[in-house]
Amino acid sequence: MHKRKILLLWILFALPATAKPPVFEIEIRNHLFEPSELIVPANTKIKLIVYNRDKTPEEFESYELNREKVIMGTRKAVVFIGPLKPGNYPFFGEFNPKTAQGTIVAR
Amino acid sequence: MLLTSVIIVLREVLEASLIIGVLLALSNRLQSGRHWPKWSIGIGLVGAAVYAASTATVSDWLDGVGQEVINAFMQIMIFCCLALITLIFSKSDKQSLANSRLIVVLMIVSVSLSIIREGSEILIYLSSFISDRDMLQSILLGGLVGAGIGTSVGALIYYILLNINRTWLPYASISVVILIGAGMAGQASLLLIQADWLPSQAPLWDSSGLIAEDSIIGQLLYALIGYEATPTPIQATAYFGGLLLPLALILITRQATSTDA
Repeated sequence: MHKRKILLLWILFALPATAKPPVFEIEIRNHLFEPSELIVPANTKIKLIVYNRDKTPEEFESYELNREKVIMGTRKAVVFIGPLKPGNYPFFGEFNPKTAQGTIVAR
Repeated sequence: MLLTSVIIVLREVLEASLIIGVLLALSNRLQSGRHWPKWSIGIGLVGAAVYAASTATVSDWLDGVGQEVINAFMQIMIFCCLALITLIFSKSDKQSLANSRLIVVLMIVSVSLSIIREGSEILIYLSSFISDRDMLQSILLGGLVGAGIGTSVGALIYYILLNINRTWLPYASISVVILIGAGMAGQASLLLIQADWLPSQAPLWDSSGLIAEDSIIGQLLYALIGYEATPTPIQATAYFGGLLLPLALILITRQATSTDA
């Protein structure tokens, strides 16, 4: 019983204590990603915030990153990514795949 | 744009269509409950419209990961319903199955949830072209083609299952339902990783060179067995757990009933 309490306390305190991942931001404007190339640290979990400045919805999608998320018009979306091995990870806007393209570069 | 809309709508329709096809084949043996597909599609479409309209609000919940958490919850619900369906089917005799209200409810819940999730994405996609009349026409046409192909795949699975030898039909259908369910469990874990509710890890393997996720086969395998080219250990655990749990339950209840008799 005592052991369980300690474990519970440990979990409670350990959760907020984990370091907050660094935040990176990109924007969608006229169905284009800005910047279209984002450099992030390798082997680190990051918090990506995608601001959709268009009125129309978009879907942030990447097969390489295994991520997919709808972002409504004039809204933002939070996507946690990584830790990534060094390399290039293309992403695109599924609703406008011809124009909305970008790459996350992990270094 | 036409091709894009074909692919987007096809991807979304495929999953719901497969579930309906397999469950229809299973329930073909039930005499009761011929109306469940109508109810599921009705509830699903209304739910999809409501969910699409509230996506902006839901996205902001839980520090911006509300969408992932709600979607994961829906997928876990679908997984549970499908697991229960296989369990009930494998242990019940024909008579009690025919009168089972529970199984009809489970089928309606799983299919409606799947339509709510996939349908809302289609509606959101279509909504972005509503003010663009010229574009809208080709988008809608593409969407219809995609929906047509998606529905045909579901129908194909249905007829394949029905034409299997009658003694094998339940085994084949139950296997497909379990595979789809495991895919749901895997997808749910991926969403929770994306939301940072589950820890992120390095992928176990990378089979994208063998079967790319964005290829036609990759997409079909994704809908059918939840294929992922780069799964992390947690995803793989959720997937194989989702595969083994219903199988274990079926075996345990089998054993229990056979010792009773």
